[in-house]
Amino acid sequence: MTALPHAVDAETPLKPDELQVLRSQYEKEGDMVGVQTKFNYAWGLVKSNSRNDQQTGVQLLSEIFRVSPERRRECLYYLALGNYKLGNYGEARRYNDLLLEKEPMNMQSADLRRLIDDKVAKEGLMGVAIISGVAIAAGVVGGILFRGRRR
Amino acid sequence: MASEDTIPVLKVLIIGPSGAGKSALLLRYCDDQFDPESSTATIGIDFKSKHLAVHGKAYRLNVFDTAGQERFRTLSTSYYRGAHGVILVYDISSRASFVGMEKWIDEAKQNAAPNAVLYLVGSKLDKVAGGGRAVTYEEGQAFAEANGALFCEVSAKTKENIKRPFVEVVDQIVQTPDLLVSPRSNNTALNIGTLGSDYSSACPC
Repeated sequence: MTALPHAVDAETPLKPDELQVLRSQYEKEGDMVGVQTKFNYAWGLVKSNSRNDQQTGVQLLSEIFRVSPERRRECLYYLALGNYKLGNYGEARRYNDLLLEKEPMNMQSADLRRLIDDKVAKEGLMGVAIISGVAIAAGVVGGILFRGRRR
Repeated sequence: MASEDTIPVLKVLIIGPSGAGKSALLLRYCDDQFDPESSTATIGIDFKSKHLAVHGKAYRLNVFDTAGQERFRTLSTSYYRGAHGVILVYDISSRASFVGMEKWIDEAKQNAAPNAVLYLVGSKLDKVAGGGRAVTYEEGQAFAEANGALFCEVSAKTKENIKRPFVEVVDQIVQTPDLLVSPRSNNTALNIGTLGSDYSSACPC
């Protein structure tokens, strides 16, 4: 059986010169930039490890999503991946669910769903741990203060 | 027993035209599943990992399943980095998919390491029974030979030969020591320790 899924495409950044090729093409085409060029650059940005790049990538993808209906499934997938990398799990799930709604049999999308859920569960637990940690600390401090006052 | 960290990792890429059956091949091999209804085109790249043993030695095989669609072609060259082997898939019931192999093998030779193992797979062998064969076995074999590639025909539907390309690719890779010393810098994103532990036999019988 398959183990935990991997967002390999999103997690393997391009080499700087590879990303530069995509960026140069994008900048060269300027205002008249083609969908393919824009998509390629956005894809490269989403794969990057830099938050700024990821954010720009997500922004370009939402533009493509709006104006190029034929690219919607790819955009949904990479919008989900990009937001997943940025830690926007709500957004990531929203985009991914839109894709799953259209393609219930899409395994990549199903895997990504598990990946997002997994992350949310982990961070949820972390949140609980932090809050209980704070509560215990407050209790201890409160206890000391309280005892101090009674004395 | 070798621990998970010391098992050599082999990277294999699956390429070929849209609809050739690349994902079906991978899904059958790794998860032993086949879905006749599924026809969703792969977006960008998909990935599966499997353990296998060849000549008594364990390997982890990371297989990258690429999108065949034209729109991803310009991007796919980055996937070749660090690949030890490339499996090229065409559909034996589609003449066009076979004719297109020329272009795909050129891409593989241009982008993969010079000594990377090439393997040609004719898929959908089950269609022969219904008279659906459009490419003969001999044609496939001759094309593979001319390009220094290994060859076999498979069916993800009936499972026929399904392990053979993977086992033979790995076998060939491990016999090419130069391939294994190259740094595998692109494997950093992989999560060691969470992968399946399904050991397949090295015997392609």
